[in-house]
Amino acid sequence: MSRLSRRPVPLVAATVAVLLAAACGSGSGSGGGTSSSDTPVSGGSLTYAVDTEPVSWDIDVSQQDITGSIQRNVFDSLVYQDDKGQFHAWLASSWSVSKDLRTYTFHLRKDVTFTDGTPFNAQAVKTNFDRIVDPATKSQYAAGLLGPYADTKVVDPYTVQVSFTKAFAPFLQAASTPYLGFYSPAAIAKYGSKLGAGGPADVGTGPFVFSSYTKGQSAVLTRNPKYSWAPATDAHQGPAYLDKLTYRFLSQDSVRVGALRSGQVQVAKSVPPTDVKTLTPGSGLTVISKQAPGGVYNLVLNASRGPFTDQRVREAVQRGINVDADVKSVYFGAYQRAWSPLSPATVGYDSSLTGTWPYDPALAAKLLDQAGWTGRDSSGYRTKDGKRLSLVWPLMPQNLVSQQHDILGQAVQADLKKLGIQVERPRQDVGTFVKQLFGGKDDISDYSWARADPDVLRLYFNSAETPAKGGANGTFVKDPDLDLWTEQGQTSLDPATRAKYYTQVQKRALDLSLVVPMYVVSSVYGASTHVHGITADANTWLEFHDAWLGK
Amino acid sequence: MKATHLLRAVARRVAAAVAVLLGAATVAFAALQLIPGDPVTTMLGPFSSASPEVRARIRAQYGLGEPVWRQYLHYLGHLLRGDLGESYQVQRPVGSLIADQLAPTVQLALSALAVALLLALLTAVATAGRRRLLRGASSLLELLTVSSPSYWTGILLLTAFSFHWQLFPVAGAQDGTALVLPALTLALPMTGVLAQVLREGLETALHEPFAVTARSRGLSGTAVRLRHAARHAALPLVTLTGWLAGSLLGGAVLVETVFGRPGIGALILQATTNKDMPLVIGLVLLSALVFVVLSTLVDLLYLVIDPRLRTDQVTP
Repeated sequence: MSRLSRRPVPLVAATVAVLLAAACGSGSGSGGGTSSSDTPVSGGSLTYAVDTEPVSWDIDVSQQDITGSIQRNVFDSLVYQDDKGQFHAWLASSWSVSKDLRTYTFHLRKDVTFTDGTPFNAQAVKTNFDRIVDPATKSQYAAGLLGPYADTKVVDPYTVQVSFTKAFAPFLQAASTPYLGFYSPAAIAKYGSKLGAGGPADVGTGPFVFSSYTKGQSAVLTRNPKYSWAPATDAHQGPAYLDKLTYRFLSQDSVRVGALRSGQVQVAKSVPPTDVKTLTPGSGLTVISKQAPGGVYNLVLNASRGPFTDQRVREAVQRGINVDADVKSVYFGAYQRAWSPLSPATVGYDSSLTGTWPYDPALAAKLLDQAGWTGRDSSGYRTKDGKRLSLVWPLMPQNLVSQQHDILGQAVQADLKKLGIQVERPRQDVGTFVKQLFGGKDDISDYSWARADPDVLRLYFNSAETPAKGGANGTFVKDPDLDLWTEQGQTSLDPATRAKYYTQVQKRALDLSLVVPMYVVSSVYGASTHVHGITADANTWLEFHDAWLGK
Repeated sequence: MKATHLLRAVARRVAAAVAVLLGAATVAFAALQLIPGDPVTTMLGPFSSASPEVRARIRAQYGLGEPVWRQYLHYLGHLLRGDLGESYQVQRPVGSLIADQLAPTVQLALSALAVALLLALLTAVATAGRRRLLRGASSLLELLTVSSPSYWTGILLLTAFSFHWQLFPVAGAQDGTALVLPALTLALPMTGVLAQVLREGLETALHEPFAVTARSRGLSGTAVRLRHAARHAALPLVTLTGWLAGSLLGGAVLVETVFGRPGIGALILQATTNKDMPLVIGLVLLSALVFVVLSTLVDLLYLVIDPRLRTDQVTP
């Protein structure tokens, strides 16, 4: 979806801990020109301006990115996943998976306590997972991450067994996300549904404690002084360096950037492409840009209706859009154009697809001629049997339009007009939009789908994953190969096997011209050069356990 | 005799207020029914991964599967008992959600109102009936403030006073300094309208015979304006101020968003985009209540300002 950073954005994480701050001194000592040493300093308060505010703070309920990314500081997971898809110990010191991929046994660390003083143990895992699948919780996302969940058994106080009704390979990844993090069972018992309101009621085991929340303004996290169970991949063990971490909710781009420039915040999320070039180390500011994994921003062609039932027309559209030029002119080079529906930041990305379907308006015109769209009407649009070649591509409701997708859309519209294709862009309210989309009534839809796993291709191309069922298959196509490969990819833990299937899926989807990949969505942050040691995980969310403030 | 008269008038007022509130709730309810789309889907957003089971669960919990008339009666029943229901999205009682966010908005609205009145009074008294150039310049400025979108004004003020000179913090409601820029942003367009109207009123009054009489007794120009003309010019000003004050809630939506302030504004935005029915109706009721209270205040102020209205009836 266009608004990936806001809505459902299932993020099953493969963590790519990148030391973003390398550029500003923590790792390489190369940046900023400051003489501050590379030795982290404890203390200080960091303010981070983000562009959205959680609706619900309850990690078991919320489907929002922003909830997961803030609460990551407060809630730890069983396992940690690095950028190569490898899992590391975290709250679980070791684990084993049964051959049929139905039972996962975790041996837990024995020294972990929640910030309310109660111990973290097998019972806590059970309490949390059972709460997520309880229909009364009305989980919008976490329950989906648990998939075919059967139950959780407490084997002994520090051994827990999670079972599924069928093979469930994605579970380790799911378990690494904050949505399957752990509340103190005491807090669950005491606050229950009030956990969604945020604040001190949200008790976890993380490096930070959720101290206070002022709706519409800020959330304040403070250091958990007892923290000593960071994943081994972190730069340091022990408590976080920062005393205080404040999230400020500033939805206006210009206000966020202004606050960063004037030093009122030290880090700002979602820096607009127009501002990227002005944030230079010379200005005391630097840009942290990181490609999001999962589905890139794709134009999804609905092959089940109208002119798009003819593959030649779909291919004409795919080859008739000048993706390079459009993306460059709209985003000033801040985003890389895409060649696959899958982001290069995802395991299983097929880099051999680069350059395989370049802009070719002559070929596009030829394909349209072959498809019988040879006539022209008075406005210059192609016709066939007296009917104009016209495609419907609704504009997202205003509040969901992001990243200037409306402007990029105008460029696409202009490209296709040159070929004699009319693209209508009616502006719709959310209700109408959803009804049309779910019903497969549009020709084109556009969205990205952040998820640190190639399994996102199943959501895009498996015939069972229609938008109405929570999937993202706006192509409404039923292709036996795509169905088979996306399902097989899901039932294996072997990286080579998975890569084989997902490479085939990417190629097949492009061969069938089901999507026009446009650009690779990136998270762009601005930060003061005084800030060191910030890392971004695979979801491109910033992590603050290693962060510290220099001079 | 006089007491019962007063009591009856008060009762009439209260009854009218209740009718207005009920009407507002009904209209809001009807409007939300007319907006296309399934409320649960709208609430979750177009690309929610929530399963059909979860959707059904949410629908059942809020009684959204029931016929509309039953939902309406059900809702009305709760409303009459003073229960505003629970927000779909935030899963908290609407009453407490609003109560939590009310103080910062009231603070913002009152400061803006005070600033607007003060500025309007100053410019109108200073420019009414004076030199053409001064008057023209002031008029132009007023027109500019009225026609600039408030988020734009807000960003300009922020750019100058917060980002550049760093006199005020960008956001929040932590102390008085954080209130200055948002209050000014909200006040400026009001100031423009009020100053225009007040100046007109003053100028009309200054041409009345009593103004000439007063001046002939040796009063200075400004004194005539303040002591005599101002009272006459005040009546339309009061009406307009009442109306503008009612609309402050709407203005707060933008200002609070730009400045990252807590308050009702953010709540309104969130409630309407997510079709959070109980919250929307709760907020509609709040704004209806504000208007009812304000119009009562305006009526009372009329009595204070214009002695001629006090003679027979208590309320119009």
